Amino acid sequence: MKLIYRIALRLSLLLLPLMAVWAVIFYFTMVREINDEADDALENYSEVLILRILGGERLPDASDGSNNSWSVTEVSEEYAAGHPAISYHDTEVYIPEKRETEPARVLVTIFPDRDGKWRELRVAMPTFEKEDLQATVLRWVVILYLLLLATAVGTTLWVFRKSMQPLYALLDWLDGYKPGGRAAPVPNSSDISEFRRLSEAAQQAVDRFENMLEQQKQFIGNASHELQTPLAVLQGRLEYMVDNAGLSEEMLAEASRMQSTLSRIIRLNRTLLLLAKIENGQFPERRDMDIVALIREQEEMYAEIYAAKNIRCDVRLPESFMLRINESLASVLVSNLLKNAWVHSPEGGSIGISLEGRTLDISNDGGSPLDAGRIFDRFYKSGDREGSTGLGLALVRAAADCSGISVSYDFSGGRHHFRAEF
Amino acid sequence: MKILIIEDEPSLRELMERSLRKEQHVVETARTYAEAEDKLAVYAYDCVLLDIMLPDGDGLRLLGELKSSGRKEAVIIISARDSLEDRIRGLEDGADDYLPKPFHLAELSARIRSVARRTMGGGRSGITLGNVTVEPESFRASVGGRELPLLKKEFDILSYFMQRPGHVIDKAVLAEAVWGDHVDQADNFNFVYSQMKNLRRKLEEAGATIEIKAVYGFGYKLVEN
Repeated sequence: MKLIYRIALRLSLLLLPLMAVWAVIFYFTMVREINDEADDALENYSEVLILRILGGERLPDASDGSNNSWSVTEVSEEYAAGHPAISYHDTEVYIPEKRETEPARVLVTIFPDRDGKWRELRVAMPTFEKEDLQATVLRWVVILYLLLLATAVGTTLWVFRKSMQPLYALLDWLDGYKPGGRAAPVPNSSDISEFRRLSEAAQQAVDRFENMLEQQKQFIGNASHELQTPLAVLQGRLEYMVDNAGLSEEMLAEASRMQSTLSRIIRLNRTLLLLAKIENGQFPERRDMDIVALIREQEEMYAEIYAAKNIRCDVRLPESFMLRINESLASVLVSNLLKNAWVHSPEGGSIGISLEGRTLDISNDGGSPLDAGRIFDRFYKSGDREGSTGLGLALVRAAADCSGISVSYDFSGGRHHFRAEF
Repeated sequence: MKILIIEDEPSLRELMERSLRKEQHVVETARTYAEAEDKLAVYAYDCVLLDIMLPDGDGLRLLGELKSSGRKEAVIIISARDSLEDRIRGLEDGADDYLPKPFHLAELSARIRSVARRTMGGGRSGITLGNVTVEPESFRASVGGRELPLLKKEFDILSYFMQRPGHVIDKAVLAEAVWGDHVDQADNFNFVYSQMKNLRRKLEEAGATIEIKAVYGFGYKLVEN
């Protein structure tokens, strides 16, 4: 979930109970205020009535257009003593003019008249309908909530986007970052100190990483170089022994095995050097090459070398395909892909080589799919094949990366497919 | 031939010295740049094997000095660096050959022979052993003056052995030398055997006085009968 949506969601959820509490407080405050007003009016009215009753004046008609109604009843002294002098309450009264019952505020007061008799005056005044008020308040609270939400979220989003601009710039930069590539510097144009620090931290991390990568490359290169001389000594001594020691057949077979192991170390070392060189971009010159001619030449060679495996080869290639590429890299790419197919084909299996459009597809029979995410990694080996350096496909990827070619692997129809998009 | 080996690694130096002495060369060695300079100031050599990474100086500078003073020594650079640029630089500076480490001793002696042929004016006639002659430049082989028709790979194999007489060659090393790096994972060397069989038959039928002998369990060796 994007941060911005998370913020919007939290804002909405937080505003909901806040608005509810606010609505409740607002409602009760308003009801109290209205009752206060009504009570004041009732008190005034009742005072007028009481004065008139005491003065023996004519009392106002019950229906004087004010919707107020009143009644006076005589009560006993005990009743007067047991009730407060003035009390208010809400009730429903029937308004004859309107022919309906309406909510009303009622004032009940008990007073002695001129003769010392207790009388109870009830004055009723129609007030608002609570349900109506509640509905209105609820409606407006909802409207207000939505409005407030829209405003709050909208403002937040705008402010957020504005303020987070440097973060998105940094994220875009990180998305486009490729280790070992000549990357542009980390964007750091913000004047917000947190973002400046973040950018600086990212720059430092990237620098450190690049530095380590460089050191690692150099280390592999140097280590391989340092190994060349001892390997030369070892190889020379072995040869000298074979040439001059008059070894028995058994010992010669042993020496041959030593030679093949040694050759494997030498090859591994040489391949690591080649890989380091490719990754260091030491094959810059490019020229126009016919890839088809290269593939045909290599295909014939492997067919000869691996003739004993009886592999059927299905070649579908156009007349020619010109590509601007470094010659050595093209050779590394094609030859390792082809070698891979021949080496990993079972005996009597089949290999398919096709070039359609700009896609070279090299496929061979295989049992189960390989890990597509790791197959181009160094020393990723599907099985323990003796003599394999585990670097062939790493070379392919390095050569492809250097030449702007994308290589991919997938498994379909019981076959391994390696594709290169030129 | 009189050869000067300039190499700082004692074990490799000793091995090269011993192996070249066995091939009837006169061999001197130098451990450092200074020592090499001293020896070159006093003596003349036919061939100098030069390790360009010396502890006390750049071998390429020594090469430059040799060439600028008009010395006739053939120089073969021996280096742990085998990139194309290093080779080109070495050859441009006047080296006659460039041999990257690690190398086969047989390869070293073949290079020395080849450099000697070129610098001593014997290059035109190709390589001759017994009654067999190969001309690598024109891809021709002949036995007793009569042309021997060979296929490309057969010729490559013959020419490889002619340059390394008496050395036992591992079959995998031969395969790699003739077919290139591509063979490095081959499980079986039938393709070598079949070419070899044809070549040996052709040599025998033509009455060659040399023979490529199988060394059981290891590979082959060219011998003069």
